[in-house]
Amino acid sequence: MTATQERREVARPPFWRDIRVLRVVLQIVAVAAVFFLFRWFYINLVDSFDRLGIALNFDFLTSRTGFAIPYDANFQSDSPVWQMYLVGIKNTFLAGFCGIIIASIVGLIVGVSRLSDNWLVARLATLYVEIFRNIPPLVIIIFFGFALFFFGPFPIFADSWEIAIAGNNLLILNKDRWGIPGVAQTGDLLLFWIILGVGIVVTFVIWRWRTRVFDTTGEPHHRVVWSLLVFLGFFLVAFFAAGAPFEMSWPALSENRRIFVGGFAFNWGFISLTLALGLYTASHIGEIIRGSILAVATGQSEAANALALSSFQRYRFVVLPQALRIALPPTINQYLNLIKNTSLGVAVGYAEVTALTRTSIGNGRPTFQSIIILMAVYLTFSLVVSLILNIVNRRLALVER
Amino acid sequence: MKRYRFLVALAALMLILAACSDSGSDGDTTTTAADDGGSDSTTDSGGEGDGGTDSGESLLDTVRERGNIVCGVNETLPGFGIIDADGNFTGFDIDFCRVVAAAVLGDSEAVEYFPLTAEARFPALQSGEIDLMIRNTTWTALRDGQEGATFLHTTFYDGQGMMVPASTGFTTLEELADANICVLSGTTTELNLNAVFNARGIPFNPVVFEDNTQLRPAYEEGNCEAWTSDASQLAAFKASIEEEGGEDQFIMAEIFSKEPLGPVVRDGDSDWAQAVDWAVMSTIQAWEFGIDSSNVDGFESEDPNIQNFLGAGTDAAAGLGLSDDFAVNAISQVGNYKEIYDANIVPIGLSLEGSPNDLWTNGGLQYVPPYR
Repeated sequence: MTATQERREVARPPFWRDIRVLRVVLQIVAVAAVFFLFRWFYINLVDSFDRLGIALNFDFLTSRTGFAIPYDANFQSDSPVWQMYLVGIKNTFLAGFCGIIIASIVGLIVGVSRLSDNWLVARLATLYVEIFRNIPPLVIIIFFGFALFFFGPFPIFADSWEIAIAGNNLLILNKDRWGIPGVAQTGDLLLFWIILGVGIVVTFVIWRWRTRVFDTTGEPHHRVVWSLLVFLGFFLVAFFAAGAPFEMSWPALSENRRIFVGGFAFNWGFISLTLALGLYTASHIGEIIRGSILAVATGQSEAANALALSSFQRYRFVVLPQALRIALPPTINQYLNLIKNTSLGVAVGYAEVTALTRTSIGNGRPTFQSIIILMAVYLTFSLVVSLILNIVNRRLALVER
Repeated sequence: MKRYRFLVALAALMLILAACSDSGSDGDTTTTAADDGGSDSTTDSGGEGDGGTDSGESLLDTVRERGNIVCGVNETLPGFGIIDADGNFTGFDIDFCRVVAAAVLGDSEAVEYFPLTAEARFPALQSGEIDLMIRNTTWTALRDGQEGATFLHTTFYDGQGMMVPASTGFTTLEELADANICVLSGTTTELNLNAVFNARGIPFNPVVFEDNTQLRPAYEEGNCEAWTSDASQLAAFKASIEEEGGEDQFIMAEIFSKEPLGPVVRDGDSDWAQAVDWAVMSTIQAWEFGIDSSNVDGFESEDPNIQNFLGAGTDAAAGLGLSDDFAVNAISQVGNYKEIYDANIVPIGLSLEGSPNDLWTNGGLQYVPPYR
């Protein structure tokens, strides 16, 4: 007994080779190294700023911006800098959101098409992927900006193409902006939103009810038709109960033919950026979708065939629900990339947050603090998106048995 | 064994970091600090960072040791700073970089050009990437105060103008209500455009570009109805567009801002600032004296000011940190102000006579302190 204990103590290595000690020591050393590295960066920075007489604070956020934001008539150049950041964040969000929608839809179509039995469809999809995946996004953005707008077929503002039905413009196209119909508020919207809110809840309940009926009895659920009709009913009730608080607003050119009055306008920077990023990211998402479809066990397709499901039904009910669950995690990465790539909008003069930050730096705002804010904005965007999608992913993930 | 090696590497890294954060020297000042042997008693106050702007070491000495000047310039502006067909930097601002190199180093070719966008210029100056910036940069209170920059003698008095295609027939700013107006981002022009249009209550939409290579096609293709910039730049692009077969352009008569352009250095290094300032001013003084690159060699005069200027009289330049013959070098290798102007600005359609850039004796604004 004692003999073995002694042997154990002898066998214990000296502390500098003891794995239990080393583990702790190495962690401490690593933390210390990182700490000193950043401390060194910080001291260096503060010293340099002191010597140049540049202040290291965020007071500039409340100072006057001084410049106008392109295509944003509501922003006054007298507004404080923090409002400029809000506009930039809004524009970044818009481009990212619309880009993600384009990328998801086109990506899904391309991914499925690549596996099509139709030779032409499959080859076209391959061509699409190879072209867009192998060109840097910045080049695509500039291509759209220059080829579509600068040197494209569209007329200058005063000669805009106006595509009208019954005297109302459905579409106005020119080199600078594209106008589509929108809605304009004419009354109080509170009652309308209250009733519509109730409507949304009721619609959701109806949807759940039809799904449950289908699950328990096997009757056709027709939940889309049911829900749509219910929602539409509530919408109409809300609209008339609130005394028609809004109306269609058709795009039209102003008297001097230089701006749009009414409708909703997209500027060329936004269109170039969103289209380019959407199509670029779609090529990556398409490949993810294709890989995910191939990852669904072939037995699933064979079983669907054995049940005499049509090709559409096979994809809709058997393959895609499984493939999309596999595709979600890598797709989140693509979404995050897309959001970060919106910073390339500066190339086409789109007023997203990076472009505005750079303009404000150029106009005398402190570089270091501005870049810190910019980094925080993108970090927040990315974290929020990945948080939301990770929650979705956790709920949808395939349960492996 | 592997772990030992890792530990040794880590310890070495720690030592390097500790040394760096304590000894107060790094980067390109390391060699000079070593030469001084640490005799400078104020090393702890600010030896860290870039090009030796602390009390002991001026950029002037650093530049002399290095043997060239890094000059931040424009590369896309005809007349002021552009890369010509042979790949060389040419222009008014470029020539002043050469003047400084000739005066400080005795060789007008000892310049490394560092092309900068409007937005990148001040960070490049602050970080020490460039020694000197001559990049059609307007001297403003905000920049002088907040960018850590020292503005030197104005080489070009400019003002903001507005250009439209001649076919539009527009002659006043009021006719541009609601119009798209092309402007470069991060410029004083951008701020001034807002100030002027807001003050007059004219609504407009700015279309913002990073540099002229993007702005020009947008303007030529009609994306913007007008282009605002310094009048000299507009003149340069007007000439260039018309020469290349584009539409005729019209520059409105109204000049709606003051844009004094000149060389810029970092704050806190008066030796270097003085040297650059006097080098630049020597071209204007030479013009006033009637000295140019053709007659500077063997120029004879009884005037003691001229003798001082040519380095023959009393040693007036000694305290400036420049050699006696700095002005002779600058004038013989590059030329006087008028020569520089004639070579670069006249071809873009702006004459010197009658402009604010004429000599004070001719009613212009170019006036420099005497060489006594």
